[in-house]
Amino acid sequence: MSLISRNVFRFLQQGSVNLAARNYQSTAANLGERPDTRVHCTLIPGDGVGPELVYAVQEVFKAIGAPVDFEPYFLSEVNPSLSVPLEKVAASINKNRVCLKGILATPDYSNTGEAQTLNMKLRHALDLYANVVHVKSLPGINSRHTNVDCVIIREQTEGEYSALEHETVKGVVECLKIVTAKKSERIAKFAFDYATKHKRKKVTAVHKANIMKLGDGLFLRSCEEIAKLYPKIEFDKMIVDNCTMQMVSKPEQFDVMVTPNLYGNIVDNLGSGLVGGAGVVAGASYSSKCVVFEPGARHTFSEAVGKNLANPTAMFLCGANLLHHVNLSTYSEMIKDAVNTVLKEGKIRTKDVGGQSSTKEFTFAVINKLEESRL
Amino acid sequence: MSARIITKTALRQKLHEFGLQKFPNKQLARMAAVAAPAMSDFEIQHKQPLVKKTTSIPIALYGGRNAVTMLPGGGIGPELMVYVKEIFKYSGAPVDFELIEIDPKSDESNDLEYAITSIKRNGVAIKGNIETKSESTIVQSRNVAIRNELDLYVNVLHCHSYPHVKARQSNIDILIIRQNTEGEYAMLEHESVSGVVESMKVVTKSNSERVCRFAFEFARKNNRKKVTTIHKANIMKLSDGLFLETSRTVAKEYPEIEHNDMIIDNCCMQLVSNPHQFDVMIMTNLYGTIVSNVVCGLVGGAGLLSGRNYGDHYAIFEPGTRNTGTAIAGKNIANPIAMINASIDMLDHLGHKQHSRIISEAVRKTVCKDKLHTPDLGGTATSTEVVQRIIDHILQADLRAW
Repeated sequence: MSLISRNVFRFLQQGSVNLAARNYQSTAANLGERPDTRVHCTLIPGDGVGPELVYAVQEVFKAIGAPVDFEPYFLSEVNPSLSVPLEKVAASINKNRVCLKGILATPDYSNTGEAQTLNMKLRHALDLYANVVHVKSLPGINSRHTNVDCVIIREQTEGEYSALEHETVKGVVECLKIVTAKKSERIAKFAFDYATKHKRKKVTAVHKANIMKLGDGLFLRSCEEIAKLYPKIEFDKMIVDNCTMQMVSKPEQFDVMVTPNLYGNIVDNLGSGLVGGAGVVAGASYSSKCVVFEPGARHTFSEAVGKNLANPTAMFLCGANLLHHVNLSTYSEMIKDAVNTVLKEGKIRTKDVGGQSSTKEFTFAVINKLEESRL
Repeated sequence: MSARIITKTALRQKLHEFGLQKFPNKQLARMAAVAAPAMSDFEIQHKQPLVKKTTSIPIALYGGRNAVTMLPGGGIGPELMVYVKEIFKYSGAPVDFELIEIDPKSDESNDLEYAITSIKRNGVAIKGNIETKSESTIVQSRNVAIRNELDLYVNVLHCHSYPHVKARQSNIDILIIRQNTEGEYAMLEHESVSGVVESMKVVTKSNSERVCRFAFEFARKNNRKKVTTIHKANIMKLSDGLFLETSRTVAKEYPEIEHNDMIIDNCCMQLVSNPHQFDVMIMTNLYGTIVSNVVCGLVGGAGLLSGRNYGDHYAIFEPGTRNTGTAIAGKNIANPIAMINASIDMLDHLGHKQHSRIISEAVRKTVCKDKLHTPDLGGTATSTEVVQRIIDHILQADLRAW
């Protein structure tokens, strides 16, 4: 009986969805045209090849007709004279709640004696505490492993990146690593909620609590506390050195990983290397109010500026994720499909993944695929 | 404190090992027992909801998108939830649902526990009515269990008439605020002598005060003029008397709001004959469920109004009268407005005012202007037609995509 009623209901449900689609067609004429509603998005091209890649994304968005208006701001630490003040950019992101960002270059030395980089300042200004990098094997890209699918979630407002360094005695520098229960719980909850939302099975906390018993210990305990709230998700912990070894030998075992700041940065890059390099992995930084979509591994690739060489795949995927986030999932799927098809066919590849094509050729290939799928 | 006890115990134990001090085992055991229940703030918050909490869990809001627990419940619940999801999709409301099904037939409480944990994580839930089929005494009503476990001490029902909906009374605008966790719903019943069953009604000062304060604050915030306490203190002089007394004490702190009281039987009569005299009403648990059903009946039935349950940390939104509607499930005639109104309340609570405004405007246009009514309101439209029209209105509205 229950089976019948459930099936009847499912039938009705499907019927209603189909009906919805049809009815909309018929009543739209009576009720007039739908007003043009567009999403505003802040755009930070960044340094190195960033501007070229961002331009490629805009071309794709234009081709597909995605209703997104970009507000470009040039923000740069290596080019301070051209840079827009940080407050202005932060205000824009706060208003629009979404941002697409290239990579900001950070010099190894500080001209002003300030320890915080521009990237860190932006994160602090917006409280972008969670960095999510989805490392996933792409079709048609040759790499050591073919079935990697893990999500690395990194706390990025404290830990080693607190920019608190001082030289107490000449020749002795201390660098403070800050770990707080509040932020550790926040990132752990983020990871578990992410796992719940995306139907993931396991969360692994990466730590070094055997050495840093208090600092990383606090992080680990916070994760354990939060894990109790999620009885359906497996919780696991792994020491960071072992974790990196496991990543390169058996990456399939990882699902969602939650890490403090520095380890996250290392594991992010390691993961990106596993599936084809910095040009193909998309990432995003979340605060509670806004999201900044940026490539997963942070390399500016400044050697290739103006040479039309860089791989725009990561940026395209960022753009697709952005569209999905703002409830435009149809466009998002179209872009992802087009990128995957181009990669799978393998005729057009950029140099970093073993091809000979240029950024522009790849972009046009994706646009052509989009147009084909539209027909 | 507990840490200090542990160290003290450890120290004594060490002394004992060195044979410096005779230390009776019993005392050691007692001290260990004192140290053991040292709970973290998290555990205090989640295992003992009645303890005043100091810290709250970070809310599930990521990049502007809220995670919300969805409990479809039984009967028409699942279909109504599908409509809510459709409407959210078209209005671009930034909410992700975590769907949790509870099997109404099983007596197991695993699903229920998981649902409660999920609400604790997300802080907010939208729910249909969950059936408890079992009549076995050990199985608690699931609705009541959720409310008690999360300490959702107040239920708010905003009863207002929709123009052009056929109803007994028009222009009604009453706020019913109901104590939600104690009173007759304390679920303490026993048979002391064979053939004699006693059921306890529990009224506590602290809970009564919380509800009354909530009501007056709510009245002040929404510019309401009058608060009426509904009771039966002429018969239950102590229990209802306490509730009435507490409400009078609290009322003194809000001199700008008029306060009076009314006995429940008289109140029901007044409601059906002259409902316009009421503004905000506060009452204990059982009277609340009766009065809210009376008023819902006056303005057009169970399918229109939505109710809100608030605690200190969590909020649950549901249709105003708690009916499952099993009889009309799957027939495409259930009125979706109540659940949609609940989702509007939820968006309001989460702070997505723009989306809540657009959806409520679309609902108003559909019900009042297009007069598209389901059979329970005397119309002929199906549920899907109503939802479709609401979506059409949403698509006309000028809104950002999210």
